[in-house]
Amino acid sequence: MANDPLSQTFAALADPTRRAILVRLAKGEATVPELAEPFDVSLQAVSKHLKVLETAGLVSRGRDAQYRPCHFEPAPLEAVTDWIARNRQIWTERFDQLDQHLWRMTRDKEREP
Amino acid sequence: MSDAPTELDELTITRIFEARPEVVFECMTTPSHLTHFWGPIGVSTPLEGIVIEPRPGGRFETLMVNDETGEEYPVRGVFVEFDPPRAFSFTEAGVEGAMMTAIVFNDLGDGRTETVTHQTNVPPMLMSPEAQTGLKTSFVKFDAYLATL
Repeated sequence: MANDPLSQTFAALADPTRRAILVRLAKGEATVPELAEPFDVSLQAVSKHLKVLETAGLVSRGRDAQYRPCHFEPAPLEAVTDWIARNRQIWTERFDQLDQHLWRMTRDKEREP
Repeated sequence: MSDAPTELDELTITRIFEARPEVVFECMTTPSHLTHFWGPIGVSTPLEGIVIEPRPGGRFETLMVNDETGEEYPVRGVFVEFDPPRAFSFTEAGVEGAMMTAIVFNDLGDGRTETVTHQTNVPPMLMSPEAQTGLKTSFVKFDAYLATL
């Protein structure tokens, strides 16, 4: 169950370096050395992060054997925002009904002799 | 990179209720109250399907039933924190990985209560009791703008 796409996306987004990499890639494609440059991490560490992002479908790599530029793929984030929208809807309706429930409790209390 | 927010916040909902924290907390953790409002619109939460064991590690289970189709949605949560009337949180294993929900009740001092609800999908490696203790106070937060990229 941990391998469902949504969990993979959440896990990939749970790391600040990976989020920063995504933010960088959202501005345009970049190679591994370009991505590593602003961070205090090795090329190997960036490659590891990219693997996680690739597995989650958030990054794709070019075919150029030498440079393999990385691209940002936004589609998995849409699944996350869908999840957020769905749960926000549930909680909003739930709290609307709690509001009414509290109102009825107050009213019934006031009606008590 | 300096402008990159470093936190993610999957879902945060802030509401203000016209009742004191003790009342709102009791409503959200007592079956006879929950049955009146827990299911979203079009979904009922029968009293007999609600299990509340009001303590950390205790069960928080509901059975939501679609009014039209009769389809049932069982939710099996476990309380991580149970601290009336200040806060409670619970996890649901097996829901899109695992879900963590925490609700904080803030006393506004004028008979009203502000609730802040955080909900997040927690990677399985963070599901150990030690990790959950940490999660109670530091949620994996969501960059608002990541969603807008």
